[in-house]
Amino acid sequence: MQDAELRAALHRAGYIADEALATTLWLAGELQRPLLIEGDAGVGKTALASALARAQSRMLVRLQCHEGLDLSQAAYEWNYGRQLLAIRLHETQPGQVRETDLFAREYLLERPLLKAISSERPCVLLIDEIDRADEAFEAFLLEVLADYQITVPELGTLSARHVPQVVLTSNGTRELSDALRRRCLYHYLEYPTLAREIAIVRHTLPQAEGALVEQAVAFVQRLRREDLDKKPGVAETLDWVRALHHLQFTAMPDDPQALAATLACLLKTRDDRFQMGGDRVRQLLEGRRTVGVAEKAPPST
Amino acid sequence: MNTTATAQPLERIAGFAALLRDHGLSVGVAEQQAMVQAALQLPIGRAAHLNAAWRAIACHDARDWRRWPELFDRYWYPQRTRGSSRVSGQTRPSRSLQQLVQSLHEGMAAGSPGQAPADTALQPAAAGEGDAAGERAQGGASRSDPLHDRSLSQWLPQDLARLEQLAEQIAQRLRKRLTRRWRDHPGGRRLDLRRTLRASLRTGGLPLHPVWRAPRRERPRLFMLVDVSRSMETHAQLFLRIARAFVSAMDARVFVFHTRLAEVTPLLRSDSAAVQEKVNAVTAGFGGGTRIATSLADFHGVHARAQLTRRAQVWVLSDGFDADEPQRLAEELTRVRGRGARITWFHPSEQAPASQAMVPVRAAGTALVERFLRLNSLRDLAQVAEHIH
Repeated sequence: MQDAELRAALHRAGYIADEALATTLWLAGELQRPLLIEGDAGVGKTALASALARAQSRMLVRLQCHEGLDLSQAAYEWNYGRQLLAIRLHETQPGQVRETDLFAREYLLERPLLKAISSERPCVLLIDEIDRADEAFEAFLLEVLADYQITVPELGTLSARHVPQVVLTSNGTRELSDALRRRCLYHYLEYPTLAREIAIVRHTLPQAEGALVEQAVAFVQRLRREDLDKKPGVAETLDWVRALHHLQFTAMPDDPQALAATLACLLKTRDDRFQMGGDRVRQLLEGRRTVGVAEKAPPST
Repeated sequence: MNTTATAQPLERIAGFAALLRDHGLSVGVAEQQAMVQAALQLPIGRAAHLNAAWRAIACHDARDWRRWPELFDRYWYPQRTRGSSRVSGQTRPSRSLQQLVQSLHEGMAAGSPGQAPADTALQPAAAGEGDAAGERAQGGASRSDPLHDRSLSQWLPQDLARLEQLAEQIAQRLRKRLTRRWRDHPGGRRLDLRRTLRASLRTGGLPLHPVWRAPRRERPRLFMLVDVSRSMETHAQLFLRIARAFVSAMDARVFVFHTRLAEVTPLLRSDSAAVQEKVNAVTAGFGGGTRIATSLADFHGVHARAQLTRRAQVWVLSDGFDADEPQRLAEELTRVRGRGARITWFHPSEQAPASQAMVPVRAAGTALVERFLRLNSLRDLAQVAEHIH
């Protein structure tokens, strides 16, 4: 599948990627290298991996990283309960149970990493928010990402049957190690442009009025240029347009009060709500970014 | 000319990789090989897509990502970057991406073994890495103006050792802050019931391996913003040397600014003469006015956006002379404080800075800047080590 075809497939799967992103994804597949995606929260990093899986008709295996994540949660764990049961069963039967019988593949619980490595069919492995995991776990990942294999001391080294397409995401809350970065291709995902975001919303919410979508997305784009604690991502835009559509809006109202309740979809902190008072929202609705110098729309009469 | 252009596509990729290295991107043999592979994988008609493909290979973080378009254009489309001076000393034959991909494909089609082009491509690059260090000096920085000849020329090896020792001492003194998270600790006082039960499975349900947890304390994340404007010319080298010590002692992130802000942490990590010249080049290119408020806005809005939390400590090393609107500095410092970060201001002068921009900052008391400390010598740093926490 060439990059143009991959882009079209992603579009069909509901993800509108630009050419550069499609080329990078295609290249990651061709070179069999993991892809590290960084960007602000809500720009569509996780959604990209699930869309990629749908576009390529592959299974998505997801590992959500968090502090304290260890091998037993990420890679594998022995099924101790079953092992004990097997010992008890053997006690009632003649013959001794050997240690190698108990540490066999059938007693191994597969966690996401091992599941992706041992999958019968090619899959997409999403390692989400890697910056939340500890550095020790990051070091463990190096083996998996470099050689696509996991070493289980009791069993030996398990190599991938099909090299999974690995997508790592990071919000940049912690610096990742150089070793990990150098094993990956890299893409920094920016907030989508106006045209792309309109296309995304139209694709996801085809039932919403065209005028409403265009005006709402333009409003969100202006809102992102404000000094907010938490800038609204694409998911917030979709939520907001969905809410406006449910409230029977066909275009953006002139009165900011009519929007007050729905702004909860976009503004997620108390400071941001306070900062975006009625007057400020009115200015953004009229297309003005700042008061005074940079006014782009004529003042309302 | 066409023959030259088609005969040496690999040298041109190597030249491009050398330019990237000169500008701080970590492009080694593996990356260069991947770049050749990417060029071979792409159909000739889609040569323009090499930009995106190579960007994914050569960039390793957001800083590289932002610098890429300028570097790519500078090498492959020099006609687009008018007015900029050449930094690399490479000779420059025709550089058409289309031609490059085409000649690579022709090389493959001519029956050369699959790996051969890649290997020969990497020969000059691998050898060139050593040479590149020598050539770098011909770029932005000059060997006749190294750090040691400046105001720090009297420094002796024991001074450097003392500096590192002080940095370690300060790193130890910076108070670890309690976080909401817990960590595994054999001496902890809180039982992790879920994991204890899980661990008890291997002993038939008997909890013989209790898992204990203790509150997690973390050292602050240190950000150092070094003013390298003309007014700080005589002090910037000392500040950068101190910053380097903190990079190795506690993995601080270091930015330099005058009218713009740039991160120099990767350059400060390795301690070679060539890298030192790069740092000199960064600072030498600066000089002139200072826009502290604009640089601070860039710092908290772009570079350290996700890392500025209540765990962060921001050290500003500047004389406080700001060309921005006087009230803006206080506003930007308020925004940094709003994220929970603690700010310390180091000044080279005897007295705390009293410029117009600093008036509202100092009037706010400790609400904005927690403390002003003098820093002009190792002795000052030793005093800092006693007071800071």
